Amino acid sequence: MVTKVLEVAGLTKRFGEVVAVDDLAFGVEPGQVCGMLGPNGAGKTTTLRMLVGLVHPSSGEARLFGERVRAGAADLARVGTMIEHAAFVPYLSGLTNLRLYWEAGGGRFEDAALDDALAIADLGDAVHRKVKTYSQGMRQRLGLARMLLGQPEVLVLDEPTNGLDPGEMRDVRDLLRRLSERGNTVLLSSHLLSEVEQVCSHAVVMDRGRLVTTGTVADLTASVGHLYLEVDDVSRARTVLAAVPGVRGVTNEAPGLLVELGTTERREIVAALVHGGVGVETVTSRRRLEDAFLGLLDEED
Amino acid sequence: MFATFRAEMVKQWRRPRTYVALGITVVVPIIVGIALKANPPSLREGRNDGLFFLATKSGLILPVAALRVMSRFLLVIVVAMFAGDAIASEASWGNLRALLVRPIGRGRLLGAKLASAALLALIATVLISITGLVVGGIAFGWHPIDLSIPGGFGFQQSNGEIIRNLALATVYVFWGLSPVIALGFMVSTMTDAPAGAIFAAFGLYVVSSIVDAITAVGSIRYALPTHYFDSWSDLFTTHGASSDMVRGALLPIGYVLLFCGIAWWWFRRKDILS
Repeated sequence: MVTKVLEVAGLTKRFGEVVAVDDLAFGVEPGQVCGMLGPNGAGKTTTLRMLVGLVHPSSGEARLFGERVRAGAADLARVGTMIEHAAFVPYLSGLTNLRLYWEAGGGRFEDAALDDALAIADLGDAVHRKVKTYSQGMRQRLGLARMLLGQPEVLVLDEPTNGLDPGEMRDVRDLLRRLSERGNTVLLSSHLLSEVEQVCSHAVVMDRGRLVTTGTVADLTASVGHLYLEVDDVSRARTVLAAVPGVRGVTNEAPGLLVELGTTERREIVAALVHGGVGVETVTSRRRLEDAFLGLLDEED
Repeated sequence: MFATFRAEMVKQWRRPRTYVALGITVVVPIIVGIALKANPPSLREGRNDGLFFLATKSGLILPVAALRVMSRFLLVIVVAMFAGDAIASEASWGNLRALLVRPIGRGRLLGAKLASAALLALIATVLISITGLVVGGIAFGWHPIDLSIPGGFGFQQSNGEIIRNLALATVYVFWGLSPVIALGFMVSTMTDAPAGAIFAAFGLYVVSSIVDAITAVGSIRYALPTHYFDSWSDLFTTHGASSDMVRGALLPIGYVLLFCGIAWWWFRRKDILS
């Protein structure tokens, strides 16, 4: 049995009458890149905060490297964390912020992975400017750099691409892929389902504090209930599919069509299209994570 | 612990607010010295000017006068700011969570923050005395002075005794403000609004002073943190520390232990949501 790097069991957090996280259980194994999905208020950030000792669980437990999480635990040195937007001491330069952050933990700044961190931050001479002059994107990049100073084995990220432009978002995704290839374990929350789909191997779906499902992204997006088609004549294909018994619905999903299947087999769909004179170029049962996510939430409701 | 404290001190030293606050403690004694030099008071203007009158006779008394003036208002605000800002400002920036996701225990961070706030408060108090001493020496010279003259303290002390007593008075004033520091620090662990913590700390001093002025309150006054606050002036009127000074030195211990204990208890259990 593989030891889970991150694990929560029966994790519950109440703020007065509000139950932010309710009996949550999941685990992340070494090398996995796991995305946490859920609408606003699902409890993602609270869960991440409990995983790194910022918030005390009302009941249940969170474990890091098999040890119960507690504030200030030595194992936190093996974890790089960025919760919500990256925040710094505004009147100090980016570099001084990194130095003081590192030295406050008792380490020598010379021992930090500064060059790698600065390469990630890509701030150039701006690293010597006061942080209060930075854009949100610059702060976010500096936050990623700060997180990586100690070359952590595990990364816990809350909306890591928040405030970044599309190019920077792509850079962060590439960074996460590189870290994953290096063997790092990543747990990240994101509103961007496409981001999770592109970066993550696994996903945890939450809603109203509860676990909806967990598994590989491939499992979540695989579906016998939907069929994605790319055809040479979309309009003609829609006409043909409308006449096929058992097809519940057809929606355009450029450049193809998403067919919601009832009792119909996929081979019957393809046969009907070919028989109707429609050239079928692509047939896949894979659907987008967004569809899977929304479908799961609908089932919850 | 020391690494965290050192990082904290660097952070505070580079903060513009720190320069402004410490600058105030330097500028005011200079202003007092210039004003006294330009317009020396006479004894006939009333007993309240006694200290200022003596300061013009010897620069050794100027820091005593500056300490008296500053410790009743501006210094209180300065130390309240250092204490009230300690944790709450980090929380308001959102930086507190970045500090606490490291293997730095909350008690350790709290200790480093409290120590840096207290050290800055001590530096502010010391700066008043040192600046007063320097300005007094330049403006009026460090002449031996007979404090028993009319309007004086009624007691004769050598220059060495005055300087020693000034040092004791400086420490006493700092320690007398320690309940303000401790309360400000305690509230700072509970809020993300530094202004609220600073106001609470200053409020303690103001409320205590007001209640202390109401004699009908009875013996409760003797337990108020400001009751013995001015007793340090006994150093210049009696041989050694008075019994009031001893009580005044012991009284803050309870407040400091209470407020710091609550801060520690609260902060260790606090959910960091900012």
